[in-house]
Amino acid sequence: MEQGENIIEIEDLNFAYPHEKKLFNSLSFSLKKGQRVGLTGHNGSGKTTFFHLIMGLIKPLSGDIKIFGKSRKDEKDFYEVREKISLLFQDPDDQLFCPTVEEDIAFGPLNIGMSHDGARAIVKMTCEKLNLTGYEKKITLRLSGGEKRLVSLAAVIAMNPVCYLLDEPTAGLDNGATERFLRYLKDYADTYIIVTHDRELLKNAVDMVYKIDDCKIIRV
Amino acid sequence: MHLEEFAGGNSFFHRLDPRVKFITFVPYVTAIAVMQGIKAPFVGLIISAVMILAAGIDIKKVLNRLIVINLPILILWIFLPFSYPGEGFFSIGPFTATSEGVLHALSITLKANSIVMATIAILGTSEIFSLAHALVHLRAPVKLVYLFFFFYRYISVIHNEYTCLKKTLTARSFRPATNMHTYRTYANLIGMLIVRSYERSQRIYKAMLCRGFKGTFPVMSHFSLKKSDIAFSATMALITVIIVII
Amino acid sequence: MHISEGVLSPAVLAAGVILSAAGVAMGLKKMSADRMPEVAVLSSAFFIVSLIHIPVGPASVHLIMNGLVGVLLGWMAFPSILVALTLQALVFQYGGFTVLGVNTFTVAAPAVTAYYLFSCAIKRNDNSSLTALAAFCAGALGVGLAALLLVLALVTTGEVFINVAKLIAIAHLPVFIIEGAITAFCVLFLKKVKPELLN
Repeated sequence: MEQGENIIEIEDLNFAYPHEKKLFNSLSFSLKKGQRVGLTGHNGSGKTTFFHLIMGLIKPLSGDIKIFGKSRKDEKDFYEVREKISLLFQDPDDQLFCPTVEEDIAFGPLNIGMSHDGARAIVKMTCEKLNLTGYEKKITLRLSGGEKRLVSLAAVIAMNPVCYLLDEPTAGLDNGATERFLRYLKDYADTYIIVTHDRELLKNAVDMVYKIDDCKIIRV
Repeated sequence: MHLEEFAGGNSFFHRLDPRVKFITFVPYVTAIAVMQGIKAPFVGLIISAVMILAAGIDIKKVLNRLIVINLPILILWIFLPFSYPGEGFFSIGPFTATSEGVLHALSITLKANSIVMATIAILGTSEIFSLAHALVHLRAPVKLVYLFFFFYRYISVIHNEYTCLKKTLTARSFRPATNMHTYRTYANLIGMLIVRSYERSQRIYKAMLCRGFKGTFPVMSHFSLKKSDIAFSATMALITVIIVII
Repeated sequence: MHISEGVLSPAVLAAGVILSAAGVAMGLKKMSADRMPEVAVLSSAFFIVSLIHIPVGPASVHLIMNGLVGVLLGWMAFPSILVALTLQALVFQYGGFTVLGVNTFTVAAPAVTAYYLFSCAIKRNDNSSLTALAAFCAGALGVGLAALLLVLALVTTGEVFINVAKLIAIAHLPVFIIEGAITAFCVLFLKKVKPELLN
């Protein structure tokens, strides 16, 4: 994919949870290859919901979600999206559901039809990239908070996505862990949206900042 | 929350293939459980005790477990010896214990202790996840094994949430007692745990979808048989046959 | 609520395995891949709940909450309870592997019964006292029926166990009321906070 090509184009998007007031009203947004974007907004403004709409985990009331130049409507349309765009969840415990680190990293590659040997090779390579060699057989539930975060990053890097959606990736991490996380992110990802309230992160890791305000996304 | 008390170690038992563990364990304990009389359970007790010693685990911890297991059996000892018709063995006041009754209680005690010791020595010496993996390779339904994986994975997460909630209650002067307020408070706490667990499960499913999950669970291969595994299987098969015959 | 190893007769053990296997198969059939995480994490939650001590006078009891498990999961209560009891047998050696079938059926069959008898009333009803009553019954029936099945398993094994069985039945009386009360409060909480859980 070329730099500057459109990855996400959203137009006139409307969304509300059942029995609740409107969260997005005629929202528009676009992201191009190579853009590193920060997204802020007050609690409950819909930042996580926005990510879930892009990944097709929830469906909008109306509006067009175009990803890689194609309108995405049905569950099947989003299979390709999920192979090429990776969402890092706020709580690593939601994401690391497999028994061992190795299996968790391999889960995505196996789902998209890779062979066991291929998946194993990817696990090895990803662990080397993130300095996690030796962690392969460890039990995910016994890792520390920082380790869990890095392994969940490894699990999405293993999918080799075009674009990352990162939901408060450094919340709850100490300075050392945050630094490591950012270093790897910068090394391996060139296109991403980070949801965060962390001013340091907004200063260091992104080129432009957007804000969800009054049911729309606006450039800050 | 530490649940795998005996899994750490490097004995013969710790190194056995988990598949072999199930294949040998199930017939062995079944044989002990269904045999009548005290001969078979007695042989089982000795074999299981030898296995515990060979597994090189903390005997004190094993004894603690056995004490807990034997408490309900103690209740049986109060009732069983006196419930059998037959020849008097000894009597306390108006109650006469029969030798049949005593033998039956003894048989149950031997059976329970030998099965529990075998469980600790054979299964307890493996990580729970590797036992579950073994079940997949022994053709257990993959959906059921994955259910077990997820269930076990989230116990410590939910336990953390529980201890947090409990602390906030204590910090606000909640003291459990026998009254409706206590029951209502516990019910709210349990309700909160259920709601959080449900919401977490929804996020987990979304995370699975994000990583390409389409309804089938991938299985990775893990195990390879060693000579010692085969030798152990043969020995256990022989022991099981002996228990059935005598 | 379980029975130890070595007590029951081979016939009762076998019946337990067969009945539980049928229930688990039914539950797995109902459990689509998208509901697996829900069943699993709720099972973890109920496992933690079963470790809570509730004071009763000078003593305390453990909760079982199988009535509520049934109302929430229906037939999927069988696999849910099976994994929980398997873990207990594995790490605490409570119950045990040879009695896993009997114990699973003893706890899960009342859960499914509670589901058929009371979940409609709990789900549809907007009148909170009727909901609470149905939930109380579901909780109380869950434990009551489980105690009854336990007694049945013992007495079928041999008439000599009749006194022990009586003792078990009596010991469960306070649990019966507490489980009912907590289930009722819990359902009211869920209806308020997360009604879709009960739909």
